[in-house]
Amino acid sequence: MRKPYQICLPILLVCLIPAVTSAQAPGSQGGGSFRVQCPTATLLHPGGTGTGNSTPASAEAAYSGPITRTAATDPSGHYTYNPPLTFTDNGGAIKCQQVSGGDGMMTEADGNQTYMFSFGPLSGLQAIQNGQAGTQLPAVFNKSYCDPANANYLSGQPNPYSPCDPSTTDPNGAVGYVTPTATNPSPGADAAAIMNTGVLNGNIPAPLMAFDEDDEFFLTLTNVGMIMRPDLFEQHTVHFHGYPNASSFYDGVPDASLAINIGGSFTYYYLAPDAGTYFWHCHITPPEHLQMGMVGQLYVRPRQNRTPAGTDVYQTSLLQQNDLRTACHPGLPAAGQPGPDILCSAPLPAVHPGFPNATGYKYVYNDGDGSTRYDVDVPIQIHGFDPNFHFVGMTFNPEGFADMKDKYFLLNGRSYPDTVGVAGGPADVLGQLATATNPDPATHAISTADTDTLSRPSQPLPTLITLSASGGPAGTCGTATTCGQRAALRIADLDVQEYQTLSSVGIPMLLVGFNAKILRDEAGNNLYIKTNSITLGGGESLDVILDSTGVAPGTYFLYTPQLDHLSNDAENFGGLMTEVVVTP
Amino acid sequence: MSHMNTKTWCAVSRFFSVVAVALLLVASAHAAAPGITGTSFSLNAGTGYSSQPDGMLIYSWGYGCATGFTPTYAPAQFASLGFCPTMQLPGPTLIVTEGIPFTVTLTNSLPAPAGNTSILFPGATVTFSGGVQGLLTQEAMQTTPVTYTVTYAAPGTHEYYSGTQPDLQIEMGLFGAVVVRPAHPVGTSASAPNCTTTEPGREDFRLASSAYDHSLTCYDREYLFQWSEIDPKIHKQAEDQIKLIQSCPANTALQFSCPTTLNVVTEPYHPNYFLINGRSMPDNMDADYAPNYPNQPYNANPHMHPGELVLVRYMGQGHWQHPFHEHGNHVRILGRDGNLLLSQTGTDPRLLAGRMEFNTDVTPGQADEGIFYWSGKGLGWDIFGHTSTNVGNLPCNPDVNGFHTNQRRHDPNLLWRAFCQRFSELLRMVRRP
Repeated sequence: MRKPYQICLPILLVCLIPAVTSAQAPGSQGGGSFRVQCPTATLLHPGGTGTGNSTPASAEAAYSGPITRTAATDPSGHYTYNPPLTFTDNGGAIKCQQVSGGDGMMTEADGNQTYMFSFGPLSGLQAIQNGQAGTQLPAVFNKSYCDPANANYLSGQPNPYSPCDPSTTDPNGAVGYVTPTATNPSPGADAAAIMNTGVLNGNIPAPLMAFDEDDEFFLTLTNVGMIMRPDLFEQHTVHFHGYPNASSFYDGVPDASLAINIGGSFTYYYLAPDAGTYFWHCHITPPEHLQMGMVGQLYVRPRQNRTPAGTDVYQTSLLQQNDLRTACHPGLPAAGQPGPDILCSAPLPAVHPGFPNATGYKYVYNDGDGSTRYDVDVPIQIHGFDPNFHFVGMTFNPEGFADMKDKYFLLNGRSYPDTVGVAGGPADVLGQLATATNPDPATHAISTADTDTLSRPSQPLPTLITLSASGGPAGTCGTATTCGQRAALRIADLDVQEYQTLSSVGIPMLLVGFNAKILRDEAGNNLYIKTNSITLGGGESLDVILDSTGVAPGTYFLYTPQLDHLSNDAENFGGLMTEVVVTP
Repeated sequence: MSHMNTKTWCAVSRFFSVVAVALLLVASAHAAAPGITGTSFSLNAGTGYSSQPDGMLIYSWGYGCATGFTPTYAPAQFASLGFCPTMQLPGPTLIVTEGIPFTVTLTNSLPAPAGNTSILFPGATVTFSGGVQGLLTQEAMQTTPVTYTVTYAAPGTHEYYSGTQPDLQIEMGLFGAVVVRPAHPVGTSASAPNCTTTEPGREDFRLASSAYDHSLTCYDREYLFQWSEIDPKIHKQAEDQIKLIQSCPANTALQFSCPTTLNVVTEPYHPNYFLINGRSMPDNMDADYAPNYPNQPYNANPHMHPGELVLVRYMGQGHWQHPFHEHGNHVRILGRDGNLLLSQTGTDPRLLAGRMEFNTDVTPGQADEGIFYWSGKGLGWDIFGHTSTNVGNLPCNPDVNGFHTNQRRHDPNLLWRAFCQRFSELLRMVRRP
């Protein structure tokens, strides 16, 4: 066994997490146990010259390979390290997000209101409502939430920051953030703002998270309680499903770590190590909290996106070999030496004819050959709701777990035709959605009236995919003269009950990633699969590219050939289906 | 959280440290994929009860060791600990070697109404003697045993299960696993290419030094996971009908005749017990051969040190496909049903081609192997507090991949296979300005 002092050091390190971030003058804080936390500088991202990114609080920087740095103090000068710490800096930035854990209502495609245990946005509200990730740089997060379009919080209570002062507030700022002042440098959190926004604010899917490799991600979970189930004292956690080398401490499994009580906040810390499509969910009684709706999407963008314009993306793959954390030493082992890291992050491509990066190019993985380049991000979450289980969950009855039977089949929390229910979209043949208020004609978010009669955005993400058959960058589609746009479908299945298949009619699918890894063998061969259908079990993710090059303009369908899943409870129509519109 | 004092935090953190480092007491935990080994096995198909965590005892059929057969337990640490009842769930794991034939003699001790039984060995070459001909293979009658001579041409992991009325007999528990060791496991000497030995000073529970005859399939520990379900209504029907048949009066004056065979309805299938290695959580976290599970000897509770390569053998033994999530890291799939997946072209055709997965589909009738490790690499902070200022740590000597494997001696500070870059990573969180 290790000696006590050896045990205590890691303990002390972990103790630093809350102590350092919330150190403050006694008596000056508000918000009880709520905290809104987002540092503007860290050891890895201190800002200033001589680091991989001189402005980590407000911007990403181009990837230029690993540099070795030393630090004798932390950026605040509060702690000194003797001898100094030596570590590897790959750039990246600081990103922050806050979510509520609580409950809410959503609207099924047959009009049924369904009760959920759920997460909702407590930062990036405007971005989430617009179907974007709620992840923000500190420069945005560290402003009090105030939306010029709405003087009130979701509860109807007035937002005291309104009219919004853009120098101190932001519609994507953190709810509950209080600007420090000289006399009150650690003001704590505004608990009223958090409760007025977070209660009944559940979304399905849970708030989207997206950030870049090498980012440090500070995710605050604030448990606002479940007002519809006052008998329950449910804790919540965040589990980053599939995250490589996750720490048990931040893994959200309550049996192995901690869980967040009602009235408390906790800030999870993740360094973004490997690009890929992951997802996240609450890990308290998973069959219950997942079925009830606590499931969200998460993806990490690759370093290759930060390749300088004009540079071959292969150079980014080569630079990654200089960092032992990402290197993939190819070949069989020499005598007495171990083989290549069996789970290494950045395998070099076997063939790399040269693919110069250009501004705005996006890739699913660090492919080194440009093969995963795409134009349009389409996060798709597959899920299922059992209306009986949700009704029982709302009405204080014991739930039958082995008898669970999904009757609604959801893409991003919506069944067809709500999946394409956007103003001017293909389902809007009569043009009525432009004048309707729900879904919102501008953001396309579906709102649901809660039991307090107030309507809150509940399903922000349609899955209508629009691609221009001539809109792709020239020279990125092989021998074709006109390049179409490519969509990256980041598909995650969080269905508690069944395997799900999605088929594409008319546009072939190119499966490039599986479980957040590029499909590539140790020898560097791409093992992509050209197909028209993919199948996932609950807890799996994969990446599909839809290429509109050479595709005739028109409407195409993504749907499940499991025909009983093409239904909305009693309606023999709907379910797991959406549309791909290809324009000229 | 400044109201939480250090003592509170230390209590939380100590718990976390214990979990993260897992058990240091490996020797007492006997962490392994246990079974019986040899070239001649005498098995029995019999009846018994499985114990479930809610207190239910479920009538089951299973393979076990025939009366009078004294098996050899593997790994060797189980020699005095192991037991092999006449019926167990799952059946005894047979540990054999690539290319070497072995025999399995099966005695049928099931109640007469259950009829014949048998064993299928998918993936192997099988000849048989004795018994009677069945639809899929030669079967054992209550009075007539059957002997199978089985050869696996390649190493790997396989299932064995009943080939007689499988919808009922497999559901009742007649299944088990075969681990086929490589005939030429990769050497473990420092000069050979190349399986580094498991760290000296630690107890070695491996069944072989590599999963296949291939130097990229080395591992430090191994586990076997057999997934299945139980629909207790089926088991209840079988038990009730057997009791009825056995107690049915042979009175010719009755207006009805006694049934002599089972008529168990197996559809619709509605399981509500879900098992790994014959036990449900939390029973599967108890030890292997724990005495409180007389018919369920195997656990499903892997233990590993950070960085150790853990060979995981998965197989689906039930009706349903299950997505098996590996928390904490990916697993590199090695092979399927005893076929190592290798690159077909490229810089070196002998490199691995199996996917990296954080979720492995465990499919009925299919067996996969994968290698898993967890090192904390890329966390951005050293979960163990091995910092340069932590006096007492041995120096970390990175190999080509950055792991501490060069120094082959027992390391009291658990540095074996540590990821050295981690050592200067403090949690980089600081005071908000």
